[in-house]
Amino acid sequence: MRLLFIEDSARLQASVGRGLRRAGYAVDVIGDGEEGLWLAESNQYDVIILDLMLPRLDGLSVLRGLRAKHNETHVLILTAKDTVENRVSGLQAGADDYLIKPFAFEELLARVQALCRRSYQRKNPRIMIGDLQIDTAARLVARKGRKIELTPREFMLVEFLALRRGQVVSRTEIEAHIYADSADLMSNTVDSAICLLRKKITPPGGVSLIHTRRGMGYVMESESA
Amino acid sequence: MNSIQRRLTLTLGALCCLLWCAGSVAAYLGVRAELVSAFDLALKTDAQALTNMAEESENQFKFDSTGELMPEFDREERPDYFQVWLPDGSTLQRSPALALEGGNLPLKAGTLEAPRFWNLTLPDGLHGRAIGIHFNPKVDEDTPSIPGVPRPRGPLVLVTAFHRGDLDAQLHHLGALLLLVGATMAAATVLVVTIVVRRGLQPLATLAERAGKIDASSLQLRFPLDHAPAELLPIGQRLNDLLARLEASFSRERRFSADVAHELRTPIAELRALSEVALRWPDDGVATQSALKDALNIALQMESIASGLLALVRCEGNLFTARPEMVFIAALFEEVFQPFAAKAQAKQLAVTVDLPKEAGWFADLPALRSILTNLVSNAIEHSPAAGSVRVRIEQNGADERLLISNTTNNLTAEDLPHLFERFWRKDAARTDHVHCGLGLALAHTYAQSLGLKLCAELTNDNEVTFTLSGAPTCRSTKQVEQSPNDCPNTHSAEPGRRE
Repeated sequence: MRLLFIEDSARLQASVGRGLRRAGYAVDVIGDGEEGLWLAESNQYDVIILDLMLPRLDGLSVLRGLRAKHNETHVLILTAKDTVENRVSGLQAGADDYLIKPFAFEELLARVQALCRRSYQRKNPRIMIGDLQIDTAARLVARKGRKIELTPREFMLVEFLALRRGQVVSRTEIEAHIYADSADLMSNTVDSAICLLRKKITPPGGVSLIHTRRGMGYVMESESA
Repeated sequence: MNSIQRRLTLTLGALCCLLWCAGSVAAYLGVRAELVSAFDLALKTDAQALTNMAEESENQFKFDSTGELMPEFDREERPDYFQVWLPDGSTLQRSPALALEGGNLPLKAGTLEAPRFWNLTLPDGLHGRAIGIHFNPKVDEDTPSIPGVPRPRGPLVLVTAFHRGDLDAQLHHLGALLLLVGATMAAATVLVVTIVVRRGLQPLATLAERAGKIDASSLQLRFPLDHAPAELLPIGQRLNDLLARLEASFSRERRFSADVAHELRTPIAELRALSEVALRWPDDGVATQSALKDALNIALQMESIASGLLALVRCEGNLFTARPEMVFIAALFEEVFQPFAAKAQAKQLAVTVDLPKEAGWFADLPALRSILTNLVSNAIEHSPAAGSVRVRIEQNGADERLLISNTTNNLTAEDLPHLFERFWRKDAARTDHVHCGLGLALAHTYAQSLGLKLCAELTNDNEVTFTLSGAPTCRSTKQVEQSPNDCPNTHSAEPGRRE
């Protein structure tokens, strides 16, 4: 999942950004409202975490700008402004969630995960593809009851494909959502990652759940088309 | 309850009723006097007619019969009465009714010019009014006096009395009418007074009603003065001024509360986030080390905020006791500027200092140091790179002013009233972690505690100047050395030395 974190505090940028990446998200971090709006409009994000008191352009203006251009990306406002009026203003401006500082990092993670599920119209944190179970909340994958160890990036990849089960996901989309923060992305990185992921989640003699659509991308489903 | 309306209504109503009563009584007395006067005139006329019936003839007094000439004395019902006395007190003549009843009228008399009138009970028992006069009868020329017989001497006395039943009835009716009219008008007056007073005081009631709607959440309301009566205009204007000041004060407090929340919440959020992330993923040594460093800086930042707030509370709560002593400004500035010199150099600021060595102020040294530190810090930190900072003392008669100016590229006239507010920052996003907006507020509060004045103004095109003034000065070191007792608390050591 790809996140945009718009926050002017350098310390929060560092700590929260690091935490989200360790949790398996691709995170873009920016410190002012104008740059944040430009990034949000130029890229596809699953969730935008937005501070309100930003230099150059405040958070509410960023949010209103996005919604005015029919950008439906889920937005979580993260701010110290805690009055009812502030919360109502934020939600009425188009935010999907509102979290007050100081906050528990676990709570931020859980809310971001919930918004990511909403991005793909999923309420259940558990996804079943055939006999493959993916728990997006606990970040666990199991097949036929056997736990499968995945790296954070691999989990992001299987989660991304599973949330879009039955849909063809292009290489470009995978690069944008999973490898956005990778400086050293090579042309076959995605293919290699898919190949490795297939090996891990397919038991010996088992059926592969990730199918290649030549020239188009990959699709995850329990039966081949 | 103390009510202007009730007091006015009762007072005016009572006064009007009193006036009505007095008027009615005066009218009654006036009309009564007129009626009685007319009655007396009739009495007098009849009495004069009766005196013409008496004459002196053949050396004696005679009285003609009233008979057809004055039938009122012969009436059977409510007849009038008269009686004439001779000088010796014997009766010369009575009216027929009086003669029949065998009574006498009281013997009282005045003169023809000034007759005597009085009320009496008539022989028939009814109320009457009488007139009594002394008079000299005319002499009968046709019957000459008899020679040798003495002529009768002395005036005769005539008393005549009429029934006053009709007069009394008239007076009674008049009295009743005046009483009725008076009572009715008094009641109507009370009603009119009540209505008029209530209407007259309506603007006051409207003012009170409007005031009742104003509370902490509606301080933007104002009293409408367009159609206010002249008497309430000054009150309304004062109230509006007061509301404006209250609104500004509440707004400042709300802003302060929001700013405090932000200034404290943000470092706490940073501390919490970096701690939780570091604890969750302790394997990244470099990140953990960085987190610990950040944690320390956050703690120092919060310590600075707490210290600043405590100092403000102490000053504002009059818990700060100033201990004035002789402070040489130039030396103090040099000490204060030292920690900022490197930063000023790094920003390539042109710092010019024009402070006479002998310029001395009587002030609390630690407080003055704090003021200067905050002003210098503000000038160095907020000047843009390659800007300028100017420090000088100006003489204004017996007063000295310390001026600290720095280049600014974003302050406007609208910002000036807020410069000394707690936690105010030009940057609405409050991104800067180093400064929290308490420095100038602290400088201002310390200045007030010392009895000094600190103000800010935009001078030249892009320069802000802070002026500190009002301290007692001692102009020259020489003066201090020659007469140390002239300057209270003069420090015996070199300038700028502190205990």
